[in-house]
Amino acid sequence: MIARQTRLPRAPRPTIPIAAACAALLLVLAACGDSTAPDDNLRIYRHSTDGAPSSLDPAQAATVYSNMVVVNVFDTLYRYKYLARPYEIAPNLAIGMPEVSADGLEYTFRIHPDARYSDDPAFPDGIGRAVTVGDLVYSLKRHFDPSTRSQGAWLWAGRIVGLDAWAEAGADYAEAVEGLEVIDDQTLRIRLTEPYPQLVYTLATGFSALVPQEAVAYYGREFGVRPVGSGPFRLSSFNNTLARLERNPYFQRPPLDLAEEGYDPALHDEYGLAALDGAEYPMLDRLEIHFIQENAARWSSFASGAVDNVMVPNEQVEQLLSERNPIRFRPEIAQRYHGTSGVEAGFVYAGFNMADPRYGHHPEPARNAANRALRCAVRDAFDWNARNDTFYYGIGQIFPGVIPPVVPEFDPDRVRDSVEGRVEQGRQRLAEAGWNADNLPELRYGLVSGVQQRQMYDQFRGQLIELGFPPDRIGAETFATFGDFARAMKNRKLDLFFLGWTLDYPDAQNTLQLFYGPYETPGSNNFNYRNPDFDALYEQAATLRSGPERSALYQRMNQMVIDDCVAITGLSRTRIYLWDKAVTMYPDNEILGGFFMRFVMSAP
Amino acid sequence: MDLLTYTLRKLIGGIPLILGVTLISFVLMVHFGPDKTYELLSKNPTAEEIAQVRSQLGYDQPFWVRYGNYLGQLASFDFGYSDSTGERVASILSRTVPISLALLAPGFVLGNLLGIVLGLVAAWHRGRWIDKAIMGFAVVGMSISFLVVIIAFQIVFGVWLGWFPVRGWNVHDFSSYLHYVTVPTLASVFVALGYNTRFFRAVLVEEMGRDHVRTARAYGAGPVTILYRNVLRNALIPIITRIMFSIPLVVISGSLLIESYFGIPGVGKATFDAITSGDQPILKSVVGLTAVLFVLILIVNDILYRAVDPRVSLK
Repeated sequence: MIARQTRLPRAPRPTIPIAAACAALLLVLAACGDSTAPDDNLRIYRHSTDGAPSSLDPAQAATVYSNMVVVNVFDTLYRYKYLARPYEIAPNLAIGMPEVSADGLEYTFRIHPDARYSDDPAFPDGIGRAVTVGDLVYSLKRHFDPSTRSQGAWLWAGRIVGLDAWAEAGADYAEAVEGLEVIDDQTLRIRLTEPYPQLVYTLATGFSALVPQEAVAYYGREFGVRPVGSGPFRLSSFNNTLARLERNPYFQRPPLDLAEEGYDPALHDEYGLAALDGAEYPMLDRLEIHFIQENAARWSSFASGAVDNVMVPNEQVEQLLSERNPIRFRPEIAQRYHGTSGVEAGFVYAGFNMADPRYGHHPEPARNAANRALRCAVRDAFDWNARNDTFYYGIGQIFPGVIPPVVPEFDPDRVRDSVEGRVEQGRQRLAEAGWNADNLPELRYGLVSGVQQRQMYDQFRGQLIELGFPPDRIGAETFATFGDFARAMKNRKLDLFFLGWTLDYPDAQNTLQLFYGPYETPGSNNFNYRNPDFDALYEQAATLRSGPERSALYQRMNQMVIDDCVAITGLSRTRIYLWDKAVTMYPDNEILGGFFMRFVMSAP
Repeated sequence: MDLLTYTLRKLIGGIPLILGVTLISFVLMVHFGPDKTYELLSKNPTAEEIAQVRSQLGYDQPFWVRYGNYLGQLASFDFGYSDSTGERVASILSRTVPISLALLAPGFVLGNLLGIVLGLVAAWHRGRWIDKAIMGFAVVGMSISFLVVIIAFQIVFGVWLGWFPVRGWNVHDFSSYLHYVTVPTLASVFVALGYNTRFFRAVLVEEMGRDHVRTARAYGAGPVTILYRNVLRNALIPIITRIMFSIPLVVISGSLLIESYFGIPGVGKATFDAITSGDQPILKSVVGLTAVLFVLILIVNDILYRAVDPRVSLK
């Protein structure tokens, strides 16, 4: 065996130059990302969010996270007032509110003449050009171009004269659209097929942002990661953890008028916002938006000062609050941070697939009535308070119907029978309608794979068993991704689904459209609810401007959804925000999205 | 010349492996992976729009056509554009792989070097308290969840002590590199050390029991000489095998947990996002390149065997 000790070739000894070369190589590799040397003189605000956008192309800005970046890189004609609640629309790129014709069919918009796109290689000599209304025409057309794969076309589908026909004729950008009339570079007239009072709201969404045709042509499919716009910031780097934006030197707007923005000293004084009155914005040199999906990582990032704000994760709430109702922070937290809370612009709910005759619509009136009783019984068994206490720390706002607290049409005095969780009443309904353990149909509950989703299902399953459902008739169908879940739902494969809805604009029409018959799946009416009376009211309300008449119609539609037990609804989650006292701001994750970031002030 | 012939032969021999890996993974992606269609659609899609998106994603093509396209992409190293962001897959990889390498290399090297050293010490003191202490530490490292280690290290080094950042990757010089890489490295070494030490100890203990080591001891050789010359050198083959086969995971897969929790834009997080969102162009590139890398590693591995043990023949 000694013979095995063959003399091996001697390996060169590691030397300092090799170690140095390795270190240098590592450094080169490490610096391959988008890095910038720190500059203590810059005013930087580091914002954290609990999700990440995939594309920053306004045509695909379908998530809160995309919108947050998009409205800072691009300009929209309108935005929401910084501090006014309920939300109020305000001009952004537009000068004032539009002139609307008496019949509500023509809207004339004028935009700021000095708006410019940020410098980018997409423009001749790399110098950004002036923004014109032609860019809005192009941006709206782009939504209807099949190659864009737009997620926002639904906002204007069938609304603007000639736009759908333009798409059907081949989406030739050289062809004009009758309903999009360019009067001059700063003036645009939009002609509608019928009155559309929500039009101005749609022009405050990220979908409506103005994009320059040159940049889309220059970057092609990569426009979604290299967006070029005329907003208050320009994107300097973007990946799945961070979007870094620098101030756009071309961005000019009238100074911030706090009174106009809804400033209320009683509510806002403690945050030092008064100092912002009359300031030019954006006030930051750099804006960083950190995408941190993991709650623990988001909290430790905030606690260590890596980010300046946090939307408080549920598991931290106990440590932060001394009182839940009204929300009060513990003294040590209030001393260290600024904090506020607010109800989300949306809600969570469950819905039945009404296209399934076992639960939903049925041609025989007697069975139809029995199905309704079954749905109502399931709703009775659902305990919103338990859901709230277990998963939302008991601070969510439970409400009956589908008009959530954040919209002006919300009725706080509506009868709350549908959210009281009366299992005994549910049992009685079942018995009266002839349902028993032998004839109750199987219920398949769809959920996206995840611990909390599973816990929610288990809680609900327990409530159904208490109602009288045999355990073997209740099943969960788990999906790996939301896309797979959506596919099953859109193909009517689920009996019951739980979802959250985030409002696109603060108008109850945005939630009521979820029950409009012609929008049944694959459209947004995932319930496949078909009620001619509801549809007639919806169509009647659709052309009405905000006012008592429209509100009354909304309330009637809301009551129909409650009476027909189409959905188990609802709860609007309460968001708790904390931020560093060195930052002067009033954050809002909801409809306001990223609009508030232009008004954030941070010490260098 | 032998080496070149051998390398070419192994490269050709690796093709079935690449085909097998890509075929199996592609079957899984197509038949069991997420469907991206409904994530890309608007709120009110029509049947025509659904069909259009499916066509743009290539879902409407026969399986073998899609697989053929995949192989073509792998041969040309051009995987097109991400279905989620629209960014070129090549750009994503060239941006994220170097970061993952720079992030994980120190932990990888330290974890293996320290594992070997601790394995040698434990093997030399086999059965004594030092051995038990090292193995106890190894079991602790293996037993605690990596996630718990990451969060604990973030709280200790970032929140309590405030020495290092818990988030980000803003590297522009060597000190900033050390600033960002230290805590992730400590966390990965803490966990890897347990597994590595146990493995290396087992290999080295086996070598310690051989006749040539006993003879060297009888001739009065010191512990360092015996451990380095007689034990470590003769145990290099399994050690090299273990280290080499970990490399593709470092290069391509990155470390999802470290990258997610420290907010580092590496390839691990990009891959995880692609898995959960069904972004097939990215998945195809990662799987394909990992397979190719494994074939290359196999070849380098064999060459290293020859370098450390002249009795090994490259035939």
